[in-house]
Amino acid sequence: MRKYIEFARVQMQVHAAYSAWFWANTFSVLLRMLVIYFFWKAVYSNRSEIEGMSFDGMTTYIIIAMFLQMFVSGVGRELAHTIKDGNVAIELMRPYHLITRLIAMDIGDKVIYFIRGALPLGILAFVFMDVTLPSTWQSGVLFLLSALMGIWIGTFFDLLIAILAFWTINLWGLEVMKEAVVSFFSGALVPLILFPEWFQTISLFLPFQAMVYVPVAIYTGILTGTEAWLAVGSQLIWAVLLFGLLRVLWSVAMKKVTIFGG
Amino acid sequence: MIRYIKLYYLFCKQNLKVMMEYRMDFLLGVLSVMLQQFAGIFFVKIVFDHIHELNGWTFYEILFIYGIAATGRSIHHIFFDNLWTLGWQYIRPGKFDRLLIRPINPLFHFIADRLQQDGFGQLFIGIIVLGTAMPHLDISWGFMEYVILIIMIIASGFIFVAVNLFFATLSFWMVDSLPIVWTIFNLSDFARYPLTIYHKGIRHLLTWIIPYGFTAFYPAAYFIKGSGFENLALLTPVAAIVSCALAYLFWNRGLKAFTSTGS
Repeated sequence: MRKYIEFARVQMQVHAAYSAWFWANTFSVLLRMLVIYFFWKAVYSNRSEIEGMSFDGMTTYIIIAMFLQMFVSGVGRELAHTIKDGNVAIELMRPYHLITRLIAMDIGDKVIYFIRGALPLGILAFVFMDVTLPSTWQSGVLFLLSALMGIWIGTFFDLLIAILAFWTINLWGLEVMKEAVVSFFSGALVPLILFPEWFQTISLFLPFQAMVYVPVAIYTGILTGTEAWLAVGSQLIWAVLLFGLLRVLWSVAMKKVTIFGG
Repeated sequence: MIRYIKLYYLFCKQNLKVMMEYRMDFLLGVLSVMLQQFAGIFFVKIVFDHIHELNGWTFYEILFIYGIAATGRSIHHIFFDNLWTLGWQYIRPGKFDRLLIRPINPLFHFIADRLQQDGFGQLFIGIIVLGTAMPHLDISWGFMEYVILIIMIIASGFIFVAVNLFFATLSFWMVDSLPIVWTIFNLSDFARYPLTIYHKGIRHLLTWIIPYGFTAFYPAAYFIKGSGFENLALLTPVAAIVSCALAYLFWNRGLKAFTSTGS
């Protein structure tokens, strides 16, 4: 356990060292917040609600979802590149579990990004963009729980996709495709209640809405009471399922590595 | 000139061979970009299921803007994608020196080094979107309209190229300017919607400083009656030429300032 904590700590320092990317990211997030703000302002210019959501409710949803989406992808890219350049063979000989090490690094990354990036930007959004707090403290607490599970699900899904790098060389394509599917089905772009019925039904059976939609819907009061608890329950099922699936796929992939000798 | 065309053909042939070697990956790349673009369009569709117009713009007009942006960007994506890699794949590992000792223009060599297959997905979806939107616009499509549309799309593509070239050139001084290139590129997100919905400051920035407005909104506005931007729209090719010239001059300055990292 100690060594993994060490990995997380070192990753925080690495994060701090690449300050150019940090500022690029911060600036891009600010730009996206501006686009979101003006777009939805235009949408609401001659109406006061859409599907029962006010302008404030909508911007709150979209901004919180945008922040959460930054945390639902993980170290898939690192894993994919390790596989691609063949370093995975060396990594496997080292005295740690590669996946666990990557997840430890990911946690380090996310903690430091939360403190340096998401928190200050979030405060800006609260001050300047009419983003509101959850209506009750219970939904606030449930949101935190649900968001952590969403991040877990997203991280494991990301790693699952990355293992496909054993079979394809187009990592960029793989990543873009994953991003598109996730932002599409997870409700990161727009609340799922705005989608057509059939689309909502499909997403019920997919893991993506558990990543972003469920926590943010709890935050904004779209999901309350029993409904909210049921949604969190389904998140738990996905979390366990993806964890198991990753282990299975990883062991299948390991057999492939031995076949080709790394 | 003819020599360069021949050379480009040879470069392309090599690139195509690589593409054909990995057919699955070609398909994956094309599909992924199509899916990415489709997600953006579906988003607009969902929003328009609940409203009729956005600041006076109809669904098909927004689609049209989107289509021009996607098609223009595909030119950039297919032929000029290597601009993204100047810092981390050429200058940092010391590979850029290789281009400087060849008897051809280094910028040409650098660009021709890669043909990006994934961009074809962007092209397909752009054409599909344009085809969907065009019949719904209040304009009769004659030969002249098509010619102007194609010129506008090419200009749009070259504005994307110019902006990326300009900021990639900073790599000559700072080794890798990718974070800056990426941030500026993200500004093009604004250009997917009518610029009229934004604050005046943003509009001026995207018109006169980083001319992403000319990659989609202004060219589209040319074809939409009563948009009030018909005259500015005519400047699109001019904007493309001016920004390409500026970027190229800047690139030449960068070349002079370049000192190798040594490999």
